[in-house]
Amino acid sequence: MSQTRELMQSQDKYRIALLSAYALALHGFESLLPTPIPWLRLGLANIITLTTLILYGIRAALMVTLIRVVLASLFTGTFLGPAFILSLGGGVISTLSMGIVLSLMPRLFGPVGLSLIGALFHNSAQLFLAYVIFIQRIEAILLISPVIIFLGTLTGSVNGIVSDMLIKNLKKTDEKIQN
Amino acid sequence: MDTLVTITVVSSSKDSAEKAIDTAFSEIEKLEKLFDFFSPDSEISLINKNAGISEVKVSQDTLDILDKALYVSEKTEGAFDATIGAVITLYDFYKKVNPEDSSIKKNLSLVNYRYLTIDRNKSTAFLKKRGMYIDLGGISKGYAADNAVETLKRNRIHSGLVSVAGDIKAFGLKPDGKPWKIGIRNPRAKGQEDDIMATIELTDMAISTSGDYERSFINDGKRYHHLLNPRTGYPAEGCQSVSIITKEGAFTDAFATGIFILGPEKGIKTLEKMGFDGVIVDSQGKVHTTPHIRGKVEFKRSS
Amino acid sequence: MNLKGLLNSTTIADRILLFILILLSLSGIFFIKEVLPKGQIVRIEINGHPVYLLPIEKDRIVSVNGSEGNTIVEIKNHKVRITESPCDNKLCIQQGWIEKGSIVCLPNRVVVIIGTPEDESNKRVDAITG
Repeated sequence: MSQTRELMQSQDKYRIALLSAYALALHGFESLLPTPIPWLRLGLANIITLTTLILYGIRAALMVTLIRVVLASLFTGTFLGPAFILSLGGGVISTLSMGIVLSLMPRLFGPVGLSLIGALFHNSAQLFLAYVIFIQRIEAILLISPVIIFLGTLTGSVNGIVSDMLIKNLKKTDEKIQN
Repeated sequence: MDTLVTITVVSSSKDSAEKAIDTAFSEIEKLEKLFDFFSPDSEISLINKNAGISEVKVSQDTLDILDKALYVSEKTEGAFDATIGAVITLYDFYKKVNPEDSSIKKNLSLVNYRYLTIDRNKSTAFLKKRGMYIDLGGISKGYAADNAVETLKRNRIHSGLVSVAGDIKAFGLKPDGKPWKIGIRNPRAKGQEDDIMATIELTDMAISTSGDYERSFINDGKRYHHLLNPRTGYPAEGCQSVSIITKEGAFTDAFATGIFILGPEKGIKTLEKMGFDGVIVDSQGKVHTTPHIRGKVEFKRSS
Repeated sequence: MNLKGLLNSTTIADRILLFILILLSLSGIFFIKEVLPKGQIVRIEINGHPVYLLPIEKDRIVSVNGSEGNTIVEIKNHKVRITESPCDNKLCIQQGWIEKGSIVCLPNRVVVIIGTPEDESNKRVDAITG
């Protein structure tokens, strides 16, 4: 019994490391894309976070988020800087919100809805942190909030759809392996 | 130079008000070109470049401000010293860098107002030692406020207020017949609620404040600000802020710096000798004032 | 990827949530623009410190020195815009003319805000020293 548990735990660690790597890679890829509208961050790494959450649970998803945010900031030299705080705050709040909704009402929302919730909390947390750390003028923050939320809604729905496709694909591959 | 200059005038005609204000702003810009430490073409930079080499012909305003700077140096026993340039440039208030003790010691001999001489007949100024630098940061704003007010008066304005980054000169009365009301900043204000510690009413007077919070940074728990003691090269301790009131802005500006460095007790004594009024907040937060001012200043809370 | 496939990915709750979010954010965008007051003072700040307080009635062009270089602000016909800025994304310039609200150039730390004299002047005093 304990051997199986050990096997499962090391499998977990392997999985988390792999998923974090994917998330980090997506994040890096996204930063290379030319952005005509800089506020429109695709948040591709959130696809990994959401998929991890649905397949492996909230603890795994949180770990993936933390690892991704910390490593990304170490690579870009912004560790512990303001950008890092924004990323971390947004990422953690978003993952927690999705995890809590998923555990309290598991059948209500699909990946798209969860992704929308995650995006909403992610952006709200970042707007709040930006207010506290950078721009203490509430008028500027209020002015851009609706735009940010709107863009977040769009990218959130796309990410949700992609996550859904990814999950279905992974489940299919799992079945194939088992057969 | 990110200095905010605000000019307020009372006038019955919008056009004459605008014209007067524009002329006053031009006067301030003209003075900035003469005195700017960071501009290689300013007259001050010219004098600095020729330190230890030759005297430099300068305009009347430069002669005037240097003369006043030397006067304040004498009256503050050298606490105010416009030749502080060689030491203050060792500090970087933007990058928050403070110099090594050895660098300060090395440059301390280059700070001495007695090596600055001016010749009124030839209209020249001369820095005797090579490597010396004049920095008028402690007096130029007050001087500019004085000149701006004179310019406004020449343009037939009878009442107004000029503020050059907090060095203020007020003349005349407001439309409601009351004097101009000036707020003195609380040196340890935490937010907008307690940012003003006292208010004072001024008629035909200038006021300047020197504080340890204006250009400062904290390294290893020690606060480094820009009011350096010319004898040690380190930021003066003893005061949090000093506000001086008298007729001339050049003097309120320069004496505010000098008195800050002299400290509260010596500072008040010097002010009484000069017949100026002042408010000093010492390093413990205790407020000292010259005797006559007590009727004119209203403190927000007891400190 | 067809529409049926898309519908299969979403639950009813998903769709309702999407609808509400789009509705709220779009109306937020319009509402905020209307509610902001038209101002008379153009306030230009660098790094949070005010460097210019200008009346919106007078047409003029000013250049301010931010952390990356010079940003040029133009006031004309009671409107304000940024015409030049050293930032990469030139977002501030893209905002065009504004009559109310603000334009921010984050890389150069420049903020242009249209406000009313009441927020500029301190009601208790005429000027502050220190």
